[in-house]
Amino acid sequence: MSARLERLINLTATLLETRRPLTLDELADRLEPGYPDELASRRRQFERDKETLRELGVPITVEAVDSFGGDQGYRIRPEDYYLPDPGLDPAERAALHLAVTAVEVGGFDPLDALRKLGGAEGEGAGQAVAAFELTPHLGDCFDAVTRRSLLGFRYRGEVRRLEPYGILHRFGHWYVVGRDVDRDGPRAFRVDRFDGPPDLGPRGAFTVPPDVDPTDYLSSDPLTYGDDQPIPARVLIDATRASLVVGALGPDAVVEQRDDGAVVVALDVVNRDAFRAFVLDLLDHAEVLAPPELRADVVAWLTALAEAES
Amino acid sequence: MSPRPLAGPRLARVLAIVPYVLAHPGTTIDELADRFRVSARDIEQDLELLPFCGLPPYTADRLIDVWVDDEGAVDIRLAEYFERPLRLTPAEGVALVAAARVLLAVPGADADGPLATAVDKLEAVVGVSGRLAIDVGDAAHLTTIRDAIDAHERLELDYFSYARDEMTTRRVDPARVFHALGAWYLDAYCHRAEAERLFRVDRVQAVRPTGETFTPRAAGPGTADGGEADSDLTGLVYHPRPDDRRVVLDLPATAAWVADELPVDARADRADGSVRVTLAISEDAFLERLLLRLGADTRVVDPPEAEALRRTAAARLLDRYGA
Repeated sequence: MSARLERLINLTATLLETRRPLTLDELADRLEPGYPDELASRRRQFERDKETLRELGVPITVEAVDSFGGDQGYRIRPEDYYLPDPGLDPAERAALHLAVTAVEVGGFDPLDALRKLGGAEGEGAGQAVAAFELTPHLGDCFDAVTRRSLLGFRYRGEVRRLEPYGILHRFGHWYVVGRDVDRDGPRAFRVDRFDGPPDLGPRGAFTVPPDVDPTDYLSSDPLTYGDDQPIPARVLIDATRASLVVGALGPDAVVEQRDDGAVVVALDVVNRDAFRAFVLDLLDHAEVLAPPELRADVVAWLTALAEAES
Repeated sequence: MSPRPLAGPRLARVLAIVPYVLAHPGTTIDELADRFRVSARDIEQDLELLPFCGLPPYTADRLIDVWVDDEGAVDIRLAEYFERPLRLTPAEGVALVAAARVLLAVPGADADGPLATAVDKLEAVVGVSGRLAIDVGDAAHLTTIRDAIDAHERLELDYFSYARDEMTTRRVDPARVFHALGAWYLDAYCHRAEAERLFRVDRVQAVRPTGETFTPRAAGPGTADGGEADSDLTGLVYHPRPDDRRVVLDLPATAAWVADELPVDARADRADGSVRVTLAISEDAFLERLLLRLGADTRVVDPPEAEALRRTAAARLLDRYGA
């Protein structure tokens, strides 16, 4: 155990210090404790070490050692390895410690990150006040944002290419936002809906517009998601659900107050499925008044359900 | 064969401790143990290992030099290549920045305090300044509720129970509020239910302080079932009960999201993208809504009462349209 740990430390130091890529043979010649002489097990042990370092986030680059594309060489570029000093003071470190102990992040041990920033300062929080999960591929998206790499991924069966400008957490979901290159427009994509891991292009591939605010890329009202031509609609909400709906849509949505406490709200429908879900979610406390086209859509939907046979 | 101790976590620790000592010579072993949240023995073992490490050809001038004096003060030399810690991984970066941003989004957070300046500095070195945003939503009554928690004051709530589709008024002893899965929750003892309950703060229609105080329950919040306090928050929110009714649905590919969004007991994916799921359902109104929303392309496999519930609910709503 400690021999392997020694070799891992020495391997990291050697790869960091070298100015040129080193081949496995060169590493085997130099390193102590060494790699086995037998070539297959030498390669196997080296691959295992490399995998351990990769899991920790140690960035090993693989380069051809000569222009003939012969042997592969390895090194760690200092600029890829060293964390620039953020210049945190003790109060700031204590505040970060408090933050990571007050917020549960699923699948993440905050100590791993805190150690790199100088360890855990202060007592931390006794009780969590918030929790969220790190969605798979979120790290890749974040990486693409920091590197300004084009992000390619499959989304609901389509291939998308995005200049990722930022990350947004809203309604309990993670979104990556930016400019969709093929559609040439702003888009937000739910990271947990990616079909598999994304591809990252070369670094520095685009310029981020100044003053980007990720919250601008996704309306805080899911009813407004969609690309349909907007259709103005009116929905009657009965008294028992009026305050709930007005609270969600805002007071500006109310176009009529009725004596019995019911309200009529107006909204622009850009996504018929989302609109129907909004209305049906209110069960018999809501009724689409206009336009006839959307009213007929709800009636047809319900009729199909009322007549459905198992 | 006994399980091999993992080299990775220890290596990560060594790669963090060495730069810290290089920047803070004379730090004691006890301080390091406290700071890196391990035992003093772990720190000693790490330090004992270092004099065997260094660069080829591993002569005295190339090996790491470690000094520990009688007071336990540590000094490290000849390890310049480890003078800075390893960069944050993308997952560490996003988790750290997000945790800080969540706390800063909570109403009442100090927008100019050390957490705000710390996260600005972190974002700057990672290269994402201002480009990770967390929306924890508006929760109009959050401040009133938090004041009541601090003062141990009983509250009266007008609350919309979504699962049952009913409006209720109840008196509660608030224990804590937290944000999870995109919503704020109030954990409180409910006098109407005579039990601890979780309330979605955005479904609280009105909140009235009663002027009565209560004695906080000794067991602490989140322990209604005798479980451990502070078991994880997401677990508190998602908790299908064993006696919940099970409903089996065949979802078309377009509705497969249900299997990802709702807690499912079982799912079977088919080649055409359709999914058969078993859901735990506690209230009829919840099931009605789900079935109405999914539409006629979803088939109710079991039980037959669920199919009847769907038909009756659709007919009831159609009455409103005079159709």
